[in-house]
Amino acid sequence: MKTLAITTIGALALLAACPQKRVFQLSSDENNPYMLKQTLDKRQLPAQPTPTNDAKQPRVFVVTAGSPKTIAAFDLASGNVMWKADADVQSRISVGGDFIVALEGSQLVARDQARGAPRWKTNLPGTFVGAAADAQRAYVVYHASSGYVLAAYDGKSGAKSWSADAAGELGAPGAHGGVVYVPYLRQWLSILDSATGKLLTRIRGIDEQIAMLDVTSQRAYYGSKQGVFVLDEKSATGKRADATYGKVKIPPQLDGTTYGVDVYDPVQMMYTAAERKRVLWTTTTIDGQLQLPGEGYAIHYFRYVLGFDTKGELTWAYSNPRVELVASDHTGSAIVGVATNGDVVALDPRDGTVRVRKSLGTTQPVLGATFDADGWSPSGQGEKSDAVSVLVSIARDRDARFDRVKELAVRRLAQLPGPEVTQHLLAVIADPRQPQRLKDTVVDLLMERKDGSSLPVLTTQLQITTDYIANTQPESLAAVAKGIAGLGGTKLEPKDVSAALAALQHHLEAPTTSNGELVQVIGAMAAIGGGVERPVLASHLLLYHADDNLGDDAAWQKAIVVALEKGGPTEREMLRYVARDPRTRPKLAALIQEQLGD
Amino acid sequence: MATTKWLWGLCVAFALSGPAFAQPAEAPPPPAKKAKKDRGKKRKPPVDLSAEVAALNGADLEPAAKAAETLGASAEPAAHDALLDALALGLPPAVTSNVFTALVKHPAPADVAALRRYARHHTPTVRSAAIGALAMYPDPNARLAVVAGLHDPVASVRAAAAAAAGKGRMRDAVEPMLKLLAKGEEASARALAVMADTELARKLADQLGKVPEASLALALGLILKRPDFGPDPERVEIVRAIAKIADASAVTALTDYLDATPKNPPRPSRQEAQGVVEARLGGSPDKQDGRKQ
Repeated sequence: MKTLAITTIGALALLAACPQKRVFQLSSDENNPYMLKQTLDKRQLPAQPTPTNDAKQPRVFVVTAGSPKTIAAFDLASGNVMWKADADVQSRISVGGDFIVALEGSQLVARDQARGAPRWKTNLPGTFVGAAADAQRAYVVYHASSGYVLAAYDGKSGAKSWSADAAGELGAPGAHGGVVYVPYLRQWLSILDSATGKLLTRIRGIDEQIAMLDVTSQRAYYGSKQGVFVLDEKSATGKRADATYGKVKIPPQLDGTTYGVDVYDPVQMMYTAAERKRVLWTTTTIDGQLQLPGEGYAIHYFRYVLGFDTKGELTWAYSNPRVELVASDHTGSAIVGVATNGDVVALDPRDGTVRVRKSLGTTQPVLGATFDADGWSPSGQGEKSDAVSVLVSIARDRDARFDRVKELAVRRLAQLPGPEVTQHLLAVIADPRQPQRLKDTVVDLLMERKDGSSLPVLTTQLQITTDYIANTQPESLAAVAKGIAGLGGTKLEPKDVSAALAALQHHLEAPTTSNGELVQVIGAMAAIGGGVERPVLASHLLLYHADDNLGDDAAWQKAIVVALEKGGPTEREMLRYVARDPRTRPKLAALIQEQLGD
Repeated sequence: MATTKWLWGLCVAFALSGPAFAQPAEAPPPPAKKAKKDRGKKRKPPVDLSAEVAALNGADLEPAAKAAETLGASAEPAAHDALLDALALGLPPAVTSNVFTALVKHPAPADVAALRRYARHHTPTVRSAAIGALAMYPDPNARLAVVAGLHDPVASVRAAAAAAAGKGRMRDAVEPMLKLLAKGEEASARALAVMADTELARKLADQLGKVPEASLALALGLILKRPDFGPDPERVEIVRAIAKIADASAVTALTDYLDATPKNPPRPSRQEAQGVVEARLGGSPDKQDGRKQ
């Protein structure tokens, strides 16, 4: 609100300095339901999601690094490169009917979409802010000395069709179906006739800024990092509660994920890392409410695409081999991405199955890409995604940037059954390169897992003992013991329990087991032993009840006494003896008396 | 003793728990009562040891240690049983070594289980003492515990285990001690030297290049000095093996051998050693050091 106020004051000052009539003004009709309906009805949108290009073929336009940079046009349907052209690209590429347009150097340049040759160029009388295109025209917002301007150029000839001045800051535009959308002063979304530049109507965001604009062939989304409005008749309310508004649950581990480009951020007018943290979704409006499809939504996060159900639970994951995806889009039927190495991948939004994987054949790293592939539904043979291996590859990624994402992966991994999952979780704990926070998470997850089939795996892990000659030491003993303790109350095979108890007893009696580990080992034995473990624990208590190191450890005292006091008369009598023994460490004796109620 | 009932209950429970714990479990507190029963038939009525037993099980460490010594000195089975009971019920670490020393004065098979329990104690000095005591028992379980001590992460415990293995001439300990020798552990070198027969001595000689030269020279030098090692042609082989060691410790080992053995009657091994030392040092070691035989 404060930002809005400052912006408004600034805009007022600008307005005072510019007396001529401007299209974008502070005072104008807004949130007018009638005008909005008229405007929406005027739009000529396809019945089905369709690419903007005249051929209606799914395409992607890629910019690769180099001096100069290169634009590569790729036909997604045929899998063929259409053309490549050197170009000093300084902005995102916008796709029109038979042309593409981008800032090249300091000029706005349109290229023939079929061949890549420059069709027209024009100097911008100001600083480039952003561009868009539809079948006929290119639209560019620039900041001239006199203020912000939206200008339209004919896609074929480059002739300026019209221009519209603004009394304040304009954001990057969007266009489809005969209208142009332009965010204005972060508060309004202005809608202009694409043929004439006439302001048709505008919407004022009452309780949310308008700093994000995402235009598909059928829908226009606007909003901010907080959430997204769908442009429809209810948009005239300007309020989240009364409009068709939605947001998805973005896990805190995927920090920085947004719904679209910030149209006021000059940095984001070029392809940036912001594109690698994006919500990928398609929506419908049912009974005035924004609805996600049954499969939910996805989030592109650097190398990964993570699928979430409508409740925000991670359901699938895709990990791009070796390199990051630099751009992504939801076509309505597929999630498409382009990787740094020029690989194009199309995923099934339902389960992350790879439908298509092709190489653009680029030799330089891909900087970014613009998709014009609305509605594309690749029918290629799918590479069924192996959820476990993908989640494991994420969990074991060495890139420290993804430490939080790993948390998300191990949480999902832990929900899957099977001993191999336990093995993978243990491997995370044993990996010295993994952050402690992740290991702590895995330990907690192991406890919560309650997968009885994992007991042999956990027992196997216990076979590693301290041996000076062999140069071995137990790996993650406390964590493994915690995992076993978590199996208490679960149906377990008796032979597995016996093996686990024997292995735990070895560590209970090993001189190298630390006090903290002993606490976990005792807990694990008590959890699964069913009473068989008590003689061993009793012997352990007797051995150390007078010990001035372990015997004084409060956590150990608690663990061993609690484990034994659940036993029968023999154990209770033994505990009473220990409590009475003058050599028993005083706090241990007191604890026993307290536990027994003596 | 008031604890008898539950202690026996504990033992029974331990025994019953065997099948559930598929892996070898540490033995329960020793069956002291059984020992009493077996021996009681042949002995006179026991003398009154109640004061020593009370002191051993008391909170004061010094009287407890003294009581252990007294009980160890006694030939009464009840004294031995009192020591075993004390171990079974748990002792402060400061008293354990006194009890071990007392126990081994009259070794009995039942001691091994009690000592093994302490051979894995958290306190390294307790482990070392227990392992040292186990050397006195020709019992496979005692040997296992000693060999396990060679794998201990604490050097002093490994040294105690090596000494115990040497003392008990435990063949099972040779391979781990050779590995420790390769890590330069002097205690293993000394223990191997103590227990080496001609076969082991040859095996040690073959370790040149696999173990630190100083450790090998120490082990072979100590073997040479053993009066029970021989015959002399075997010593000659040892001298020749030492001669192959480039490290200065080889000369030290041979010089020590020369110092420790009389010139007469002449021994080929001594002459060989002298020749090697002269060749290495460029003169007679006796003359250089001004020593007279």
